[in-house]
Amino acid sequence: MIFKSKSPNINQETVLEKLRLVQDPDLRKDIVSLGFVKQLKIEGAKVSFQVELTTPACPVKEQLKAQCEEVVKSIKGVETVEVTMTANVRPGTTQSNRIALPSVKNVIAIASGKGGVGKSTVTINLSMALAAEGARVGLLDADIYGPSVPLMMGTVDAKPESKDKRVIPIERSGVKMMSMGYLIPPGEPVVWRGPMVHGALTQFLNQVEWGDLDYLLIDMPPGTGDAQLTISQSAPLSGAIIVTTPQEVSLIDARKGLKMFQNVKVPILGVIENMSGFVCGHCQEVTPIFRQGGGQKIAQEAGVELLGTIPLDPKLAETSDLGHPMVLSNPDSEVSNRYRQMARQIAARLSVMSLQNGGSFKPLSMEWQS
Amino acid sequence: MTPTPFELKQLGPNHLGIVWSDGHQSLFNVRNLRLKCRCANCVDEWTREQILKEESVPSDIRPRKIESVGRYALKVLWSDGHDSGFYTFEHLRNLCECPLCKSR
Repeated sequence: MIFKSKSPNINQETVLEKLRLVQDPDLRKDIVSLGFVKQLKIEGAKVSFQVELTTPACPVKEQLKAQCEEVVKSIKGVETVEVTMTANVRPGTTQSNRIALPSVKNVIAIASGKGGVGKSTVTINLSMALAAEGARVGLLDADIYGPSVPLMMGTVDAKPESKDKRVIPIERSGVKMMSMGYLIPPGEPVVWRGPMVHGALTQFLNQVEWGDLDYLLIDMPPGTGDAQLTISQSAPLSGAIIVTTPQEVSLIDARKGLKMFQNVKVPILGVIENMSGFVCGHCQEVTPIFRQGGGQKIAQEAGVELLGTIPLDPKLAETSDLGHPMVLSNPDSEVSNRYRQMARQIAARLSVMSLQNGGSFKPLSMEWQS
Repeated sequence: MTPTPFELKQLGPNHLGIVWSDGHQSLFNVRNLRLKCRCANCVDEWTREQILKEESVPSDIRPRKIESVGRYALKVLWSDGHDSGFYTFEHLRNLCECPLCKSR
């Protein structure tokens, strides 16, 4: 009774009403209508609740938390506010009743058209950044002829085991991985025609025990051929990301890669410009070795977002070759910082797409009755 | 943006109905759909010449199974065993036999 007289105004409705003032800037709705507020408890002058976001990699997590605390504290009689931020990743637009990868919420292809622009480096660091935020992440190396994930993840000697005819992926720092590199002796070439590539990728999608994942990133090989077709037809893609360097010779292929995904109706999540200028270690002057503004140009042409730019950093090549991804080994570097920002942006875009167009695409299947 | 099929419906023994994301309702005679297959066995990849002969398709041909391919096409497994054709959403929409589309 003492508490009641001290805090006459605190009830669930008052708190929820205040929390309605807090908006998710990406989803453009208040967190109460979005159903984010869970486990609301009022004990005397203490209010505690959970805010369940649509991704652990939310770009505005801290900001939302601070706003929640502020509005609830403004209620008369409230002395302490305890906000716990959690996340439940929403399934991507292709998740309902699909056959391939049923326990993966979002499948993202990372492609470029051109080889050598840094797709694998980008994919690896993005996956590490997403995992560091607490998401469950998988990484599929779809480059059958030139797999680089094992080396860059420091897992060259790993050999996947199998159980009940399912292959168990290799795991490093919370990221589950599969690559042709784990299945063949190092240094051996894979000399295959297209149908074999198709077969291998289909197995990677269907016979690997990926388990429950929030994001599966697919490191695509260069080009627009067998591998790209198999992935577009068999993997339930939520979206694709195009990686390019700023120079025209990379942009012409990136445009083709982008067009290919548009042709097969896969939403483009955005463009990442890699090798975007070199920062001098002595005087900090930026030298645009591969020209400037290419990523912005191609994103604008296609009406998609430029997710970010990654400068050339010798440390990046070194950490990749040594198998210590930059985001893990140099988390405080500018490059790692940009990877984290892009990872959050990608996660936010997927959440928005899932909530807005959840019903507009679903895989269909029917048996004809005779 | 091209509309996407939202629902597949069997209408009697030989008609397929598709409800699209824009609300349009398509109607197809299934044999006509089989004849319009554009796969490499039915249409020459380079010359675009028709290889499939109309008389070679049984008059009572039926789909056995219809399913999505990625986010852009449907695939039909036919009662004569043919299954290599993909029908992209654009192609399907152009083949629509509903009175409205036919009168265009």
